[in-house]
Amino acid sequence: MSLLDAPTEYDALEVLHELGCTDGLPVVIPTPDRVSRMVLATGFDPGLVLGVMGPLNGSATVEKVCIAAVMAGCIPDHAPVVVAAVRAVCQPEFDLTEMQATTHCTAPLTIVCGPARHVCGGIASGFGALGPGHRANASIGRALRLCMINIGGARPGSSDMALHGHPGKFTYCIAEDEERSPFPGLHTSFGYEPEQSAVVITGAEAPHSTIFAGNADDPDSAGKLLQAIALVIANPGSNNSQLRGGSVSVIMNPDHAQVIAAAGMTREDVQNELARRATISVGTLREVGSRMIPHDADVDDDDLLQVLKDPSRIIVFQAGGSGLYTMVMPSWCAGPHQNSIVHAEIELDQACEVPGMGDSPQQSMERSLN
Amino acid sequence: MRDSISVARLGIPAIALVTEEFWPQGDFFAQSTGMPEVPRIKLPHPVAGTGEQKMAEVAADITPSIIDLLSGGTN
Repeated sequence: MSLLDAPTEYDALEVLHELGCTDGLPVVIPTPDRVSRMVLATGFDPGLVLGVMGPLNGSATVEKVCIAAVMAGCIPDHAPVVVAAVRAVCQPEFDLTEMQATTHCTAPLTIVCGPARHVCGGIASGFGALGPGHRANASIGRALRLCMINIGGARPGSSDMALHGHPGKFTYCIAEDEERSPFPGLHTSFGYEPEQSAVVITGAEAPHSTIFAGNADDPDSAGKLLQAIALVIANPGSNNSQLRGGSVSVIMNPDHAQVIAAAGMTREDVQNELARRATISVGTLREVGSRMIPHDADVDDDDLLQVLKDPSRIIVFQAGGSGLYTMVMPSWCAGPHQNSIVHAEIELDQACEVPGMGDSPQQSMERSLN
Repeated sequence: MRDSISVARLGIPAIALVTEEFWPQGDFFAQSTGMPEVPRIKLPHPVAGTGEQKMAEVAADITPSIIDLLSGGTN
């Protein structure tokens, strides 16, 4: 690691801005002491390589990731989640290099599941969880972005060619509201035990709001809710509709999740039903000038095409405050793996107590269980 | 809350019906708009979407409190 010199932290911030090492907002200066404390909190060797981040193909060592975490404003408690997020996006199935370079606005949406939500700095899952105002969510998502900028080399207009970007490219992190959710923890859908912690990450556009007022007197309230969500998923302008595939994230608020639960539906039922209902007609695709129309001679304008071929690629979980809105995040849907969903365990038992910072996340969890 | 405060400022008796989930926000607005004692009644959450029977039960439960407040009581 090379060190930069500056007479004051103010000067150091200006140097980092000039070098293009920030996201445009002020950062915490990653002094050796701050970085060392963050590394200690991970419990890993600073030289351990978590993955390679394109398009620069930089090695995401624990030390470099911790530099980004310090810059993002993380406290050591957040470190295990940042490490897991970096591990997840470095998996080949995530197509990070392509994702960083595309003209689409895709950004990694980090969903935190399991006990880490509580012991890694209190990651918000309720009102306004996508921000602003929640330090852990803001800092963890931002740390991943700063890794993508400084290790992965994503710079707007030269290597990151997103035409507009979107606010979630600053930070995009939310916890699942497992305690109030009628669904089992999202991470259990990916093979984890409930008591484990994990991040689930997918490339996502900005949230698209879906309004729905439930009606307990309507026996088809759940069907109408799912139809509203499916129509947002099948928005003719989205990549999902035109390329027909990829993933979609659906964040249900507690009231909407309750409508689903009252109908006796499981998460898998919701995924299957959304996949069935999210269709687009050939005629609509023709109207919007899509070039992604099947070439079969017998295709009619009225023929319906499924937007999402694989129901398991619809991420469904509960978060947010109580009310009328569910959030739908369409995806880029491209790259060699068509916007795969990736995940990684948050290893709480690796973390060390940082001098002067109290318990490690593992110790906090054990204390809460006793 | 804003509606209730605006109506109260016109000199018309008003009571805000606020669900439990939004009660802290009600406190905030009452303070920030300079009417911290604006009459409020707490409702269970959610009310919307719970069906006519449930809403009728909620209405029946809170009606005495509304009458009491409008009659000068402090609930």
